[in-house]
Amino acid sequence: MEFGFTTAAYVVAAVLFILSLGGLSGQESAKRAVWYGIVGMALAVAATLIGPGSGFWLLSILLIAGGGAIGYQLATRVQMTQMPELVAAMHSLVGLAAVFVGFIAHFEMGRVAALVAAGVDLSDLGTFAALIAKKTSVELGILRVELFLGIFIGAITFTGSVIAYGKLAGKVDSAAKKLPGGHLHNIAAAAVAVITLIWYFNTGGFFPLFLMTLAALFIGYHLIMGIGGADMPVVVSMLNSYSGWAAAAIGFSLGNDLLIVVGALVGSSGAILSYIMCKAMNRSFVSVILGGFGGPAGEQMAVEGEQIAIEADGVATALEEADSVVIIPGYGMAVAQAQQNVAELTRRLRAKGKTVRFAIHPVAGRLPGHMNVLLAEAKVPYDIVMEMDEINEDFPDTDVAIVIGSNDIVNPAAQDDPNSPIAGMPVLECWKAKQVFVSKRGQGTGYSGIENPLFFKENTRMFYGDAKASLDALLSKI
Amino acid sequence: MIIGTPKELFEGENRVAMTPASAKELQKLGHSCVIETKAGQAAGFSDKDYKDAGVEVVKTAAALWKAAEIVAKVRAPNESEMKRLSADQTLISFFSPVADEAKMKSAARKGATVVAMEMIPRISRAQKMDALSSMANIAGYRAVIEAGNNFPRFFTGQITAAGKVPPAKVLVVGAGVAGLAAIGTSTSLGAITYAFDVRPEVAEQVESMGAEFVYLDFEEEQADGASSGGYASVSSPEFAAAQLAKFREIAPDMDIVITTALIPNREAPELWTEDMVKSMKPGSVIVDLAAEKGGNCKLTVMDEKIVTDNGVTIIGYTDFPSRMAAQSSTLYATNIRHLMTDLTPEKDGVVDHDMEDDVIRGATIAHAKDVTFPPPPPKIQAIAAQPKAEVVELTAEEKRAAEVAAFKAQTKQQVTLLAVGAALLLGVGLVAPASFMQHFIVFVLAIFVGFQVIWGVAHSLHTPLMAVTNAISSIIILGALMQIGSGSFLVILLAALAVFMTGINIFGGFLVTRRMLAMFQKS
Repeated sequence: MEFGFTTAAYVVAAVLFILSLGGLSGQESAKRAVWYGIVGMALAVAATLIGPGSGFWLLSILLIAGGGAIGYQLATRVQMTQMPELVAAMHSLVGLAAVFVGFIAHFEMGRVAALVAAGVDLSDLGTFAALIAKKTSVELGILRVELFLGIFIGAITFTGSVIAYGKLAGKVDSAAKKLPGGHLHNIAAAAVAVITLIWYFNTGGFFPLFLMTLAALFIGYHLIMGIGGADMPVVVSMLNSYSGWAAAAIGFSLGNDLLIVVGALVGSSGAILSYIMCKAMNRSFVSVILGGFGGPAGEQMAVEGEQIAIEADGVATALEEADSVVIIPGYGMAVAQAQQNVAELTRRLRAKGKTVRFAIHPVAGRLPGHMNVLLAEAKVPYDIVMEMDEINEDFPDTDVAIVIGSNDIVNPAAQDDPNSPIAGMPVLECWKAKQVFVSKRGQGTGYSGIENPLFFKENTRMFYGDAKASLDALLSKI
Repeated sequence: MIIGTPKELFEGENRVAMTPASAKELQKLGHSCVIETKAGQAAGFSDKDYKDAGVEVVKTAAALWKAAEIVAKVRAPNESEMKRLSADQTLISFFSPVADEAKMKSAARKGATVVAMEMIPRISRAQKMDALSSMANIAGYRAVIEAGNNFPRFFTGQITAAGKVPPAKVLVVGAGVAGLAAIGTSTSLGAITYAFDVRPEVAEQVESMGAEFVYLDFEEEQADGASSGGYASVSSPEFAAAQLAKFREIAPDMDIVITTALIPNREAPELWTEDMVKSMKPGSVIVDLAAEKGGNCKLTVMDEKIVTDNGVTIIGYTDFPSRMAAQSSTLYATNIRHLMTDLTPEKDGVVDHDMEDDVIRGATIAHAKDVTFPPPPPKIQAIAAQPKAEVVELTAEEKRAAEVAAFKAQTKQQVTLLAVGAALLLGVGLVAPASFMQHFIVFVLAIFVGFQVIWGVAHSLHTPLMAVTNAISSIIILGALMQIGSGSFLVILLAALAVFMTGINIFGGFLVTRRMLAMFQKS
């Protein structure tokens, strides 16, 4: 009877989770959707505590409450610019939890096997143990593969997310780094994992499982170390996907359908996000994951002309005369924490009756949708924040385009120069605006290390300096 | 060639087509000039002035028409002048090829050449000959002066010892040359000036003159003036309604209204209706520069000034340029002189009537015994048209074929995917036990649902999506909860840690999502 109730609660929770993700299709429905997710989660946990999670429920609640308190602190204190770090850190927790749960399953299997061998009465075992006890040897084999996979993916997610967190938080150098030998290490580690899988499948011993865990931890570490800063949106969404697959694998080994459903939902969500990000960079998923940009395919077009600098006065005058302005924010805006200044500039220009809009490239920032969140935090209304496809056609009618801390996503070489490493990547065609101002710290190149012909165009003026300081200077003139 | 200018016969016409200054310039082109006696008197030019400039003064119109090979005048010729027009003579004057069609035809029959000043095309090169613009400029200026003359208050706001005077509010409808001149005059007199035009692209010009452009709350792409030679074209009924509604709204506020809306070769559109006039304050003035074509206000009486029952003065004069004859004659004569410069490219007094030239061809309505109106479209576009987005128009069949091809490709792809997927599933089903397959079906369906749902997520919400998936991927807590109670200490420890960590994640994930979503605000 209890179990019937639990299953029913799981069905409801699964539906709520699906609604919760589906509700994110619009800003208004999203606010409701989060509640669906919260209720679904509460229902699932409560049903598990009442049903199969027998014993220690008080401890469980205490632990959840303790974790919840920390989670609450984290969630309320985090800066919006630190969002990528937070997401990465949280992924690592899911990964680690998956590893632990996998190990528990393994221990339980061993215990039950020992009990069966001893011929003890199995009726008072825990629910999971009772489940194992009923399994045939083929099913046990499958169970081993399942929990092996769960631990494997969980371990990669764990170290990968820790490194991603380190890179995003600036605690680890964000440049792409590999141990000498490069991907050979990954291949070797993967080979170890395959061998240990066969070994574990046949023997069920702890050692191969442990060995595999180490290999997986190494893969996670080394894989993400080899991926550079601007590819982080792909990495984070990929880890998001992995954490889902880990949950699904654990769901298989525990025979829990809700875990499978949610794991699959999260897994596919992360996979789609990775796909969208890769498409926005015109690179294949594999090439992103294997890290770094390849060398240029041929002689790159030489950039002619010179970069012409401009002071705040000049920018202010041009803005006063402009009717339509498009702002293109990038990671530089997040680094300089300039979103409030950008929002203030937007408010002032809008108060003067000018059309101000934002153009967001899908991979701007370090997290899918990162810029949208930052602008929303600064109270920029979301209906003037446009996606690349929505606004690209409007640039020829735009008087002034302001590029704040973006580089590769506004690089015309992607369209003009077939030999450019970023050739074919969809970019924001801001150079078609009548005038372009680029707020940039210095004359350096972007993440990809490619020269940006935009900066040399006749209608481009470089507004050098820290984005926040530059905008402060600009605001005092408008 | 001998260029002659007769005295204008039209009642009240004070202008003259040749001034002593322009005559000097014409002589530099190798021409000689004659003028009828007293032709320039009304404009302030005496016969002596002309003589001093080397112009021969003849006593009668008949003698002038006989002597001149090219006759330059202001108004279109009347019947008697048409009789005097001879073959091989060239007439340069205002000459409406539509209103004066019969005269145009008879001139052509005679073999005379007629150059109509209003037909000078509106291209940059011809601006110096554009008499319509130079006259409109004067009309716009004079309209404000005439309005001020009839307006019982100041234009500019003043605070004097005797009290505060509010500034006059002036509305200029139609921001063509006359309208812009009126705006300039009105703002420099200190009035608060508003302006309206159906061509949205002139808003910038209006604002540059210091007036405020009156925008309509109307969403329709107005025809770009560039496509019709810089003139306004007829607007849609919906647009006209929105325009009238706006005027009705602001009418009670306006002290002076100057309407200049004309569409070439059409009756003037009614823009200022009777009820708007009624809603205006007593003492207000309306100057209708479109009076000649029926007026933008239907109460307008052509060539007269009337006062309505509620004390609104409506001025329907059509002779504003003539009222400033000295100024307008100077400008008109200069326009004619520029035209002659183009007609005598060698400056040797020989007229080369080049019908290949856009400007000359466009303005010539009768030549070599032929009516040459309407002219072919000029080779050069009047004003650079705003480049419109070029859409490659596919024919219906091509579209259909493309759709079919896309559909086929899609079907092929889907079927392939399904076949591969099904084969894989079946393969798994062959080896796996039934208990596994049950879960596996759930898994596959969940992925499927996930893909369907996630594609619908808005791009801007990708970060909240990640946060929320993060929170719900902590569903792994269920695994830990199920096992926490069973057996060994190690198991309890690991499970407890897992529960703790996922606890952080659940709360952290959902809360941060809520925080982010709460920030998304509509403007």
